[in-house]
Amino acid sequence: MATPIEIDQATLDALRESVDAVLAEKCDSTALHAFVDGKTALDQDLWTQAASLGWLGFGIPEEHGGLGLGLRGLAILHTELGRQAAPGPYIATLCAGHAIAARGTDAAKKTWLPRIAAGEIRAAIPASLSTSRSAGLTLSSTGVSGTLRCLGSPDSAFVLTPAGEVWVIVELTEAASAVVPMWDRTRETIDIRLQQAKPAAILEDASGIAAALLQAMTLAIAADSAGAARSITDRTIAYMKTRQQFGQPIAGFQALKHRAADLATRLAVMEEMVAHALHRAAADAPDADIWTSLAKAETTENFVFIATDCVQLHGGVGYTWDYDPHIFLKRARLNEILAMANPALRDRAAAALAAATRAGQSALELDV
Amino acid sequence: MSILDAKDDLTKFRAEIRTWLADVVPADWKARMARASNEEYIAGQRWWMAERRKVGLAVPHWPVEYGGAGLTLQHLIAIAGEMARADAPMARMFTISLIHLPGTLFPHGTEAQKRHYLAGVAKGDVWCQGFSEPNSGSDLASLRCRAVRDGDRYVVNGQKIWSSYSMYADHCILLTRTDPDAQKHRGITYFIMDMRAPGVEVRPIRQANGRAEFGEIFLTNVSIHAENMIGRENNGWRVAQATLASERGVIAFEGAERQRYEIEAFYHKALASGAAWLRDDQLRREFMGFLAEMQAGRRMLRRVLAESETPEASASVLPSLVKLSATVLRQRICSFMTRIAGVEGQDFALLAEEPFGSPMFDFLSAFSGTIAGGTNEIQRNIVAERGLGMPRV
Repeated sequence: MATPIEIDQATLDALRESVDAVLAEKCDSTALHAFVDGKTALDQDLWTQAASLGWLGFGIPEEHGGLGLGLRGLAILHTELGRQAAPGPYIATLCAGHAIAARGTDAAKKTWLPRIAAGEIRAAIPASLSTSRSAGLTLSSTGVSGTLRCLGSPDSAFVLTPAGEVWVIVELTEAASAVVPMWDRTRETIDIRLQQAKPAAILEDASGIAAALLQAMTLAIAADSAGAARSITDRTIAYMKTRQQFGQPIAGFQALKHRAADLATRLAVMEEMVAHALHRAAADAPDADIWTSLAKAETTENFVFIATDCVQLHGGVGYTWDYDPHIFLKRARLNEILAMANPALRDRAAAALAAATRAGQSALELDV
Repeated sequence: MSILDAKDDLTKFRAEIRTWLADVVPADWKARMARASNEEYIAGQRWWMAERRKVGLAVPHWPVEYGGAGLTLQHLIAIAGEMARADAPMARMFTISLIHLPGTLFPHGTEAQKRHYLAGVAKGDVWCQGFSEPNSGSDLASLRCRAVRDGDRYVVNGQKIWSSYSMYADHCILLTRTDPDAQKHRGITYFIMDMRAPGVEVRPIRQANGRAEFGEIFLTNVSIHAENMIGRENNGWRVAQATLASERGVIAFEGAERQRYEIEAFYHKALASGAAWLRDDQLRREFMGFLAEMQAGRRMLRRVLAESETPEASASVLPSLVKLSATVLRQRICSFMTRIAGVEGQDFALLAEEPFGSPMFDFLSAFSGTIAGGTNEIQRNIVAERGLGMPRV
């Protein structure tokens, strides 16, 4: 693993604050709505900004042009991106980068990681890493063929994907990627169609790559969900303090206060789930996959619950295109199904727990 | 080497506690408690305090000058963690004695009160809390138990309720109304009451879980000397805040650590025996969710403890968030255990030897978490108003 063991917490906090400050300014509610309405290229602008500020290299090892913060860097960035529901192909590009850094060949690392860290390219990855092999791509002596729904932008430079028994990196042309408009306009999926495409790299360590990519995706999605859920809750409570009915702000009604307190309780738990998963994964603990899998399943379902309640707590305006809740609700619904279905993730965690227990290990140590 | 001799090395301190617990905790204590009468339970509590006293762990967190060992919060965490790991008995009957009384006396008591009463606790005195009344629950400051000054004494009449172990208590920390005309928070006075004084009558209250841990206290012309007032007359509400804040999360921390070992032992057994629920997709997935929430809760409790020693602690709503999440999680876990236990889970049984061996008892007991110590509804008010800045109207 390329993850450093000891990183100063103050450094991480400073990074988080700097990302937060930039995104709060560049990707506020007004900017986000203008983008959602197709009036701006906020996604491109943010990407350029992220590249120039070095955000895309947070998780990439230092020898490949990054900051070397590993999964911690990934989690910080995605928490903050989630907070502003920021548009862009961050999950696909950065998780591909993480998987290549963790389990890729040296050649693949040298070719792709510096360009990811610099923000020169974006990458695509399968939207779902389900263990089923019925769909997806095949690899033969003539190349990679088939169609695959991917997370990523249509200008992705490559796709990191399973093909038959191995994983491959295939360079993409615009012609090979068809964008699929989604309800969540802050992220993109593409259908890629490959016909005997020559892979740029064949990665034999299929299970290693798959595990590293799933771990990065589950953590990134969990962090995004925790940040986004916190943010839409804050926005909703701020609205409730201004909205007057029956001669008072609706935030003064106890029925609504208790709902808000329950959301705050869920948020506190979600944030600790992400922190625990991150802590175990960054330490390369044997139980890490249990906690990253569960963190994704739990936080995304909580995000859906919270975003749904935030629509309701807004009342009529919450159901309109012009207010923020629907943007977060759509992001929540995408997060929920990305990477792997939540029941499958819980089963994966259960299998890992059973294996650890049979091996005489406890998976319940906190080590904090 | 004794445990306290190792206090400068936390790792060694922990190891010493572990060794002591392995030696002192009888393997069959739970089995015995499961069948124990009230008297046997009380005897068991006194035995456990006596064992702790022998190794200097009766009041380890108190300053040395009051008979304690002057240990830090980190030591308390180590002790609680080891108690949980060893599944040692809890000193439930001494909660007020060990936590709330010193938490009140250290900031507000007179030197004479500290010397006299803390020494008594170190010897095994049982204290109870006389705060809630039948008509003053969540609205505690509306309490009406009346104390009227008569020379250098006060005469107290009224009723207190939900007072844990008051049937066995030697003393009571008591809130009374001394100025009925003042604004409700300003007419309250805080006393130490001798539970054997004439006019004190306690009736146990049987709970839904079949046990009777708390009692109702009836006070008829009980005479209390003015020297047993804590703080000034009519300043009792402020003193009571110290009592309520004294817990600092250590008990909740130990509870969460105990639950971790309980769940782990339960799971080990289920896995080894091939329990049916593990093959049920929905139940297995629900259980995994509990584990994620449990780990999150344990992390939150560590933050509560770390925060408790900072100046920000008094304004923090983190303890309320922890109480809300942990007590509801406990309820859901016990509910799960009740569902998977089938009809046998409905067999009447109190304490069980096995983890979740009496799931209905655990499920019913979980209400003590959601209701006691400030109901979850009050916690929600605190989170919304203090944490989220939602207006009081």
